[in-house]
Amino acid sequence: MAAPPHAEEASVPPAAPPLSPPCDVPGTDIAAPATLPNVTQALQKGEKIRILAIGSSSTLGLGASSTTRSYPSQLEVILEHALKGVDIAIINRGVAGEVAEDTAERIKSEVALKQPDLVLWQLGTNDALARVPPEEFENTVRSTINWLKANRIDVVLVGVQYTSRLARDENYVAIRDSLRKIAADENILYVRRYDAMRFIAQRRANLQLMASDNFHLNDLGYQCMAEHVAHAMIISLFVKRLRPIQN
Amino acid sequence: MRAQNEIDFWRGFALVTIFINHIPGIYFERFTFRNVSLSDSAELFVFLAGCALRILVDGSASALPAQWLLFRLEARAFHVYVAQIFVTEMAIALLAAAALLLDAPYLLDWHNTSAIFNDPVKAHIGLVLLTHQLGYFNILPLYVVLLFIAPAVALLQRTAKTILLLVSFGIYAWSLIYGVNLPTWPVEGTWFLNPLTWQFIYVLGFLLAGSDGIGGFARRHLTLLRWLALPVVVLGAIVGYTNFSPDPVAVPEPKLLFTFDKTFLAPARLIHSLALVALFSGAFKIFQPWISRSSEYLCLLGRNSLNVFCALSLLSLSGQILRFIFGGYVALDALIVILGLLVMGVLAWAAEWRERFRADLASKPLPPPHSAGF
Repeated sequence: MAAPPHAEEASVPPAAPPLSPPCDVPGTDIAAPATLPNVTQALQKGEKIRILAIGSSSTLGLGASSTTRSYPSQLEVILEHALKGVDIAIINRGVAGEVAEDTAERIKSEVALKQPDLVLWQLGTNDALARVPPEEFENTVRSTINWLKANRIDVVLVGVQYTSRLARDENYVAIRDSLRKIAADENILYVRRYDAMRFIAQRRANLQLMASDNFHLNDLGYQCMAEHVAHAMIISLFVKRLRPIQN
Repeated sequence: MRAQNEIDFWRGFALVTIFINHIPGIYFERFTFRNVSLSDSAELFVFLAGCALRILVDGSASALPAQWLLFRLEARAFHVYVAQIFVTEMAIALLAAAALLLDAPYLLDWHNTSAIFNDPVKAHIGLVLLTHQLGYFNILPLYVVLLFIAPAVALLQRTAKTILLLVSFGIYAWSLIYGVNLPTWPVEGTWFLNPLTWQFIYVLGFLLAGSDGIGGFARRHLTLLRWLALPVVVLGAIVGYTNFSPDPVAVPEPKLLFTFDKTFLAPARLIHSLALVALFSGAFKIFQPWISRSSEYLCLLGRNSLNVFCALSLLSLSGQILRFIFGGYVALDALIVILGLLVMGVLAWAAEWRERFRADLASKPLPPPHSAGF
């Protein structure tokens, strides 16, 4: 077995996993790197990385042909391949249709039980649809991020998806903007699914990332989501200099 | 119908609070007591369910032989189970209808309903087994389990009083220490309100409602308990207001003992809810004269808590759909709350009217049968 790479110390840090042709988008449309200090430390010690993937239907994997095609399952494979020798364990705790306030409650419970190094929090769509005021949403997300930070747990926000129908929805846009703002203010990694999916939708209109209900992702959609999250994480883990967030 | 009493009043209060708290983002949520409290209306509701069981066991069911008590309580558990199945199916239909009418497939995701539409074979088995629960529809499944064990609680009280508290506490502590919870299926996870831990507050409600044992002790030392409860309630208010939560990494094992976890009814939440009970017990008699109309309304809801609970679950879901359609405006939120409270009141009144009508019919002698005429 190959020795695990040590973040920021490895002589040749692992390259970000290549994006497959259908999922290929400019790096700026995926995320701006941000540090993941806790995962970095675990990598340096050669420890197993425990990741809690929490959120709603996109985490659960609705629309995928099987549970192994959900984004957390695919992400685990991609990360283990990219970080050769590192044991990655991703726990999927997606609950369809859940708003951030309820997920925040579950995060505290799951963190106490599973003690993850990193929380991947996919959120926003259901709050927009439930018309949760953006400022209330922001307060919930910020307080949970601060709680996770205080407990030395890294957090990655995985934003709302792009669908042409909701692109003009006032609340949807407000929640998406709110997530960008939170990530910039809190200096945490934010995977801009909306931008990445919009790029694919505009450049490769013949590619179908959505299931037949035109709301949930299909296998390819989840593959792209996993690739984008993995790309953002690897870049962040081995980045030397941070670029400013470009909106 | 029975006269206004403290348990019905607080049950009604908990029902109104649950109705508002189950509409995420609604403006009036900020005025509910969970914003200044560590525990919320779920603890209050389950505690009062325990109290109600004691009143039944010591009152109208006191003379019943064990087998009849068992039959009566299990019939009640089955009644609540049927209500849970019915209300869940109504919620699914409501969301499905809204998704069709509004051409909004994403509504089929709300509150964990997606498994019903995407994995119906397994999900329907899960619904019947209560292992698949919709978000915000997870109090009744707990209540079904509690009522299912109610005969054991009542019979232990009759035959081995001291064992009841020990067994209940033992299960609570075991579940907390080892993180044991019932699984959900087909969606992998655990029950939102863990029956293994929540049974303890139910049993405490049962025991504290009695005049003997710890109930008698609490009554004899109520003043002292109130003084002890005061700082706990104040601390709980600070925790609720500041949204403080302990560091799960820093707290020692077993961690669930030291967090504020709701699923496992962490000790801090349990102690806080008991402190609220100690502080506010008896308060109803003092403030009732000043709020006679409100207390009449809340007691009406409390007396018909199962009907009202089913109604409020569907009303809060309807409120969420209305907010989705029209947006989250304060005026709409006010309309949702007013209509919701009105419908809950009318339904409770109708349930009592039906009971009175039945009683009237039963008390009147039957008219002589008409001759056939042919």
